[in-house]
Amino acid sequence: MQRDRDHKGIWIFGDYRNYFQNRVTLQLIAKGKDLAQKLETEVTVVLLGDQTHQYAMEYVAHGADVVMVVDHPTLKDYHIETYTRLVAKLLASWRPEIFIAGATAFGREFFPRLAKRLRTGLSADCVSLEIDAESGLLVQTTPAFGGDLLAEIVTPDHRPQMATVHPGVFDERPHKSSALGRIIYPEVEIETDQRVQLVRSRREQGRKVNLEDASTVLVGGRGLGSKERFQVLFDLADLLNGEVGATRPAILAGWSEDTRLLGQTGKSVKPKLLITAGTSGALQYTTGIQGAEAIIAINRDPHAPIFRIADLGLVGDAHAVLALLLEKLRKRL
Amino acid sequence: MKFRESLISANHNYLVNDMLSPGFVLGDPGPRDDFWFVADVVPPEERRGRIYGRLYDRRGDFILELKGNRTTENPGQTVLQSIQGGFRIHYPSGELLIKVHTRNFANGHLTFIHGKVYDKEGRLRMEPSYEGVKVHGKGQLALVGPYEFGESGH
Amino acid sequence: MNIVVCIKQVPDVPTIRMDRERMSVIREGVESIINPLDCVALEAALALCNRSGGGVTVLSMGPPQSEEALREALARGADKVILLTDPAFAGADTLATSHVLATAISKLDPRPDLVLCGKQTVDSDTGHVGPQIAEELDFPQVCGVHEIHLETDALVVKQVSDGLLNTLRVSTPALLTVSQELSVPGHIPLGDLERAFSDGIIIRWGLEDLGLHAEEVGLRGSATRVWRLYNPPPRRMGEVISGPPQKLVEHIIAMLETKGILDAEDAEG
Repeated sequence: MQRDRDHKGIWIFGDYRNYFQNRVTLQLIAKGKDLAQKLETEVTVVLLGDQTHQYAMEYVAHGADVVMVVDHPTLKDYHIETYTRLVAKLLASWRPEIFIAGATAFGREFFPRLAKRLRTGLSADCVSLEIDAESGLLVQTTPAFGGDLLAEIVTPDHRPQMATVHPGVFDERPHKSSALGRIIYPEVEIETDQRVQLVRSRREQGRKVNLEDASTVLVGGRGLGSKERFQVLFDLADLLNGEVGATRPAILAGWSEDTRLLGQTGKSVKPKLLITAGTSGALQYTTGIQGAEAIIAINRDPHAPIFRIADLGLVGDAHAVLALLLEKLRKRL
Repeated sequence: MKFRESLISANHNYLVNDMLSPGFVLGDPGPRDDFWFVADVVPPEERRGRIYGRLYDRRGDFILELKGNRTTENPGQTVLQSIQGGFRIHYPSGELLIKVHTRNFANGHLTFIHGKVYDKEGRLRMEPSYEGVKVHGKGQLALVGPYEFGESGH
Repeated sequence: MNIVVCIKQVPDVPTIRMDRERMSVIREGVESIINPLDCVALEAALALCNRSGGGVTVLSMGPPQSEEALREALARGADKVILLTDPAFAGADTLATSHVLATAISKLDPRPDLVLCGKQTVDSDTGHVGPQIAEELDFPQVCGVHEIHLETDALVVKQVSDGLLNTLRVSTPALLTVSQELSVPGHIPLGDLERAFSDGIIIRWGLEDLGLHAEEVGLRGSATRVWRLYNPPPRRMGEVISGPPQKLVEHIIAMLETKGILDAEDAEG
């Protein structure tokens, strides 16, 4: 394997806000360890923030070899320009070969600016990362042309090779209390940029949607017919302790809030069981559900593409089936 | 770029010299009349910092020996008081000698030590710094496993 | 306030068809539209200028047929439209694309106070170009904005980011990317599309007009390469069953039991 001797190591951006719901950094540490083994190197998590001790320990517990910490009150709120400046300085000193981040809203806003500052390549929202055996390059797979195809992208000549990764694509390693790692405290000056100031920040209201952790997911598409009929999914989810997802057409029709969107521009889920009703099976949607252990699809059209990826395909009126299922489950539970 | 480095345990760390550390030693623990201090590594089943040491006051007089957070010798007539998550020790005058307090997170624990600790020559070996302590003089800053005390029975 | 809007002409994605043998998108007969979020950006720009004075310049980097998108921009009320087109620009990743756009923006006179882009495009969906233009121009950026208010020398904007509703004050000049939910007080009615096709000058700038070298743009100016395009591997297809709802529901319940989500029915029920 030909290798660039100048750049070594796999870095992961530690997006630690909402730590217990937002598991993407932990998922990337696990994947990073696989990649690191092939490249004979280590995984470093870069953690910038305020009061970060707990998270540094969590990252080591989940597999990080090294945590690099810049902890200071000015870093309490995420700030694009301040973070870009700071991380660019760290990258210039340490020169990792790969730098990945979760495709959270912040990651997707911060990483492109950083990649441009470094004049390096960045792929967005990857669904797969591998090391090419011959070249040692990071092969980054992303959906292309609206999700109909997959594209394998590489950054041959620029470093670090950067990518953001869709949450839920990789599995985290379990927490190990006995883990020991190294911690590095760079002596770096934090330069803030006053051109953007956070005036106010508050939690969005609304019922917390936790699709990524649900073991049962029920998804509705346009074929359900109406907002009232879409509601049946919520009733079923309550009975089965599951969560409700939606396709883009259902959301555009106003039947569901967009935090429930599954698919290329939404969430990816890996439940034990996923029931998808009234969805035709467009690739932009199905990329978000491919990871389910088992898929049941209900659609009135026997030729709907959704059946190609379902373990069990049921041809019928989705609403009638779901309503009857709800009735039977209510009697039983 | 300059940087400082330490080890970090998934289960429990102390804050020393503004760095996390699984455990640290000052001086040379042993069966001699001399200063030493151990903030010991805490195994995964446990949740509290463990402190051992032979402490002197600013004049170099021996005042206290601690073993596993308990007083074993106390010529200085210090007073040990339990607090939530740890303990504090006062001089008879009421002045704080040392406070040890462990904070519990969801999956891990962090022990904060506060206090001024001197050795047999009256030199300052430990003092407060931000949330933790800054240490001076001979020692080992990042233990990887529980400290092996000698056969003297420490 | 002088505003620049960057737009991209994209295939109308739901109508896309694949040539599965040649592994490429069939472009003939596919509708082209202005990327929907870029339309939102344009309408916002027009509304902001309506209230504060100034002009809206629309830029697009693309092949010659992107002119259609710019004509639509004129019809909607843009004051000036510029097509950045050159064979050398082809094959660009976001690094090279943002370089061309940022270079063009810095050549505009008067300099813009604000650059607006859609948050992402329906075809490549990276959302990178906006932040990368901002970085090259050294403009502060806020992405995914759903509200914009004008103050003297600054903008107050709102975004939803990772579950947080943020209100930010941004000093100008700045770059904002906009989300579907953007509202700006005041609304410009759609211009007359037919009129746009007869008048309206579209300025064209190529490599030389921008003073750039071929190595800085297009495929040569890109850091990423597409190694392979392929169809996602098919998931195994299972049984497909038809029948009355009762029968279908029985199958669902059987699978819920198999998966341990429902305890298998016993005498107690």
